[in-house]
Amino acid sequence: MLEISNLQAGYNEAMVLHDFSLIIESGKVTALMGRNGMGKTTLLKSIMGLLPLASGRISLDGQPLQGLETHKISQAGVGYVPQGREVFEDFTVYENLRLAALGSDIGSLEMLPQIFNWFPILEKRLSQKAGTFSGGQQQILAIARALITRPKILLLDEPTEGIQPSIVHEIGVKLAEISTQTGLTILLVEQNVDMVKTMADDIAFIENGALMEQCSKQILLENDALLHRYLSL
Amino acid sequence: MDFILPLVDALSYILILVLIALGLMIVFGMMGVINMAHGELFMIGAYVMVVCQNSGLPFLAGLIIAPLFVGLLGLIIESLLIRHIYLRPLDTILATWGLSIALKQLIVLWFGPESQSIASPVDSMVTLGTFSYPAYRLLVMGAAILLIGGTFWTFLKTDFGLQARAVIARPDTAATLGINTRHLYRWSFVIGTALAGLAGALIAPTISVDPQMGLGYLIPGFLSILVGGAGPLAGVLAGGAAVGGTNSLLTVWISPVAAQIAVFLLAILVIRMRPEGLLGGKK
Repeated sequence: MLEISNLQAGYNEAMVLHDFSLIIESGKVTALMGRNGMGKTTLLKSIMGLLPLASGRISLDGQPLQGLETHKISQAGVGYVPQGREVFEDFTVYENLRLAALGSDIGSLEMLPQIFNWFPILEKRLSQKAGTFSGGQQQILAIARALITRPKILLLDEPTEGIQPSIVHEIGVKLAEISTQTGLTILLVEQNVDMVKTMADDIAFIENGALMEQCSKQILLENDALLHRYLSL
Repeated sequence: MDFILPLVDALSYILILVLIALGLMIVFGMMGVINMAHGELFMIGAYVMVVCQNSGLPFLAGLIIAPLFVGLLGLIIESLLIRHIYLRPLDTILATWGLSIALKQLIVLWFGPESQSIASPVDSMVTLGTFSYPAYRLLVMGAAILLIGGTFWTFLKTDFGLQARAVIARPDTAATLGINTRHLYRWSFVIGTALAGLAGALIAPTISVDPQMGLGYLIPGFLSILVGGAGPLAGVLAGGAAVGGTNSLLTVWISPVAAQIAVFLLAILVIRMRPEGLLGGKK
């Protein structure tokens, strides 16, 4: 379980998150939705230690994460797929995956057969440079790279951005399947409603850096008012 | 056959320049540290050879001690100074410039301002037809090729190199994958300084060892990175070949002044036409 309590964080003096608290239940997919500039990416960067916290606490299964260096947070079991994917374009698929394995406590590629089972395209293109991949393929690689470390929780920052709709749906279905199959906890930052409806168990809404509302997917499916209120849809 | 000697001299100069520029590039490309003291670390490598010679140690012992000593010095410099200014290139210029002055003055205090000489361990000449060349210079070229090849192999074929290249490309992303970037910065800096020390030690018998010798290699080293591109390792080869070749050949064919002008014109032209360098990389 990831617990975020009274988080204040931002860029230098400009605070973006204000007293933000959220609990992500283990084994569930929680989607965080909100308009642009509301603090979604800032939250994920703060969890990963890429931004310093002004105050507040973050813990994963009771282990405090705040104050740890980014690589320690990763090794504690937090997988991260950043906005824009950020695969290493000059590296082959194998090198991208190998790199993640080197950084993890596992240190080996024992998850590779499982990764190929989930994403067969990667096995076929193992020696291909990531920079030659389409946006969707790069997203798959970025997700696989995060999964190869066997994280307890996966943070996904707008995984559908710049990807064609057919692949978006495919990725959503696959991630939901992986979560069900392995019990992986996922925090999904997303504005694509279809993706959220495909994947999420719970939905949280953020506005001006604060948590506004948290509900189950069922409530969202029955009530469009929340989407209208927090996403202007 | 008159043209062969300048060509071999140019190749010799290029190889040493690439060796020095590789250390500079690793430190700059990875950590954003513009190490103005790199030339002095190269000089200290040569002075380690002076100490070894004066102590009666064999030449080979000096070649082992020099990179170890300069690498250790690099470790101390990294811990006390560099780690506090990573990824702040302008601050690193000022800090390492100050360090270079301090190191230079320490050498002057210890050894005096006059130049020292190191006896070449191999005095013979290698003769091919009408062409003769000092055997030691050929050995230095061979050693430089091995060291350059070894550095490339380390960065392109090993796990350490994979992580180092990832940190050069995207330090934050590498950290989110569990890579300890500070650890990599430290050991890459040590490798870069040890390479400078070894280059200084290798070349010591072929030049005058004096407190000013570092600057003569630092500037062409930086120009090599600028011309070749700081990102890919191969850029240093291209830059070293362009800067070293121009400098060395024009010095013989025209004059040292013309060679210097040509090198700076080349650098200006590349900055204007290809700011990322001949083979790309960081601007």
